[in-house]
Amino acid sequence: MPQFDTQFFSSLLFWEWVSFGVLLFLLYKYAFPGILKALDERGQKIRENIEAAERSRAEAERRLAEYEARMKAAQKEAEEVVAQAKVRAQHLMEENERQMSAEAERIKAGAVREIEQERRQAIEDVRRYASELGLRIAEKVLERSLTDADHQRLADEALTAVAKDLEKT
Amino acid sequence: MESNPLHPFELHSYVPLSLFGLDISLNKAVIMMWVVIALASWLLYMAGRQRRLVPTRLQSVAEVLVEFIRSMILDTMGEQGMRFFPFVATLFVFILFCNLLGLIPGTYTVTSQIVVTAAFALFVYGLSIVVGFALHGLKFLQILIPPGTPLWLFPLMVPIEIVSQLARPLSLAVRLFANMTAGHTILAVLFGMALSLPIFLGWLPFVFTIAINGLEVAIAGIQAYIFTILTCVYLGDAITLHGHAEGAH
Repeated sequence: MPQFDTQFFSSLLFWEWVSFGVLLFLLYKYAFPGILKALDERGQKIRENIEAAERSRAEAERRLAEYEARMKAAQKEAEEVVAQAKVRAQHLMEENERQMSAEAERIKAGAVREIEQERRQAIEDVRRYASELGLRIAEKVLERSLTDADHQRLADEALTAVAKDLEKT
Repeated sequence: MESNPLHPFELHSYVPLSLFGLDISLNKAVIMMWVVIALASWLLYMAGRQRRLVPTRLQSVAEVLVEFIRSMILDTMGEQGMRFFPFVATLFVFILFCNLLGLIPGTYTVTSQIVVTAAFALFVYGLSIVVGFALHGLKFLQILIPPGTPLWLFPLMVPIEIVSQLARPLSLAVRLFANMTAGHTILAVLFGMALSLPIFLGWLPFVFTIAINGLEVAIAGIQAYIFTILTCVYLGDAITLHGHAEGAH
């Protein structure tokens, strides 16, 4: 085999080590640092991006929870407001009704009282008028002066008679 | 085409040179080594210079390569093995480029020279021995006793392990050399057949050469990987002492 021809061994060995040494030097000095650094940088970048994404997600979740809580609170508040409004409306209606019936009652009572008063007034008027009339009639009839006691008695008698007549009618 | 299928492995001195009486004449294999280091260092330099966040194709390939070697080292040697990263990575790149460039017709496969692979293998093995003794002192001799061996088996296990240790550089050197030589020899034989047979038969070996050329590309990568991973395993053994991962022989 040509490979066992020792004639070239020294040359091959020498140049092998020189070549390998030169390659090792060149790669070590100029190639590997750049490639390794690029790899590290990318790894770092990816790690940072993942962390940032993680943070953003946590933030988004926190906000979402916050909004949901807020919305729930708002909804509850709205429900409460509606419920309160209903209660108030109910109260108002009841109050109104109560006031109106009280007013009606009051008006009715006022009317009754007025009627009663009018009635009494009327009776009083009639009575006074009647007594005066009776007195005048009696004066005319008797044409004489009477004592005050006589007046009173006669008036009362006349009045009673008139009252009786009135009550009859 | 030559009838001798081993013809592609022959070397001829182009420029006679000598250094302190040492013959360092330039030949095809030496020129190929220069091409290898020029191409490898230029490509990797270009790839490492850009450092883009979104890599270019060249940068991607270089990064895959570096990541591949890095994970190989971390798997076999752990974090402290990264000290050997420049050596291991250069070894891988050198062997890979020698294997691949040798597949181009008209070039020379440097790794098909037993002296080249043997030099690497002996250096790797020697390095593992030196590292082992430097880290563990005489306790490194425990490497000759697989964990869990009962005391009465020591007289048997120690010689076996010594043989196994000595087989390491030998197998490392021969595996790469033989794979590279065999592939090219088969190609040369098939080409010889394709040319010497009449055309209605000669197309058959020619088709085979195409298929085997594809196979050879894969073998070039695989053999570079095997050489490198075994380097890592041997160094890893020296560093960790236990585990005692045995490579295929």
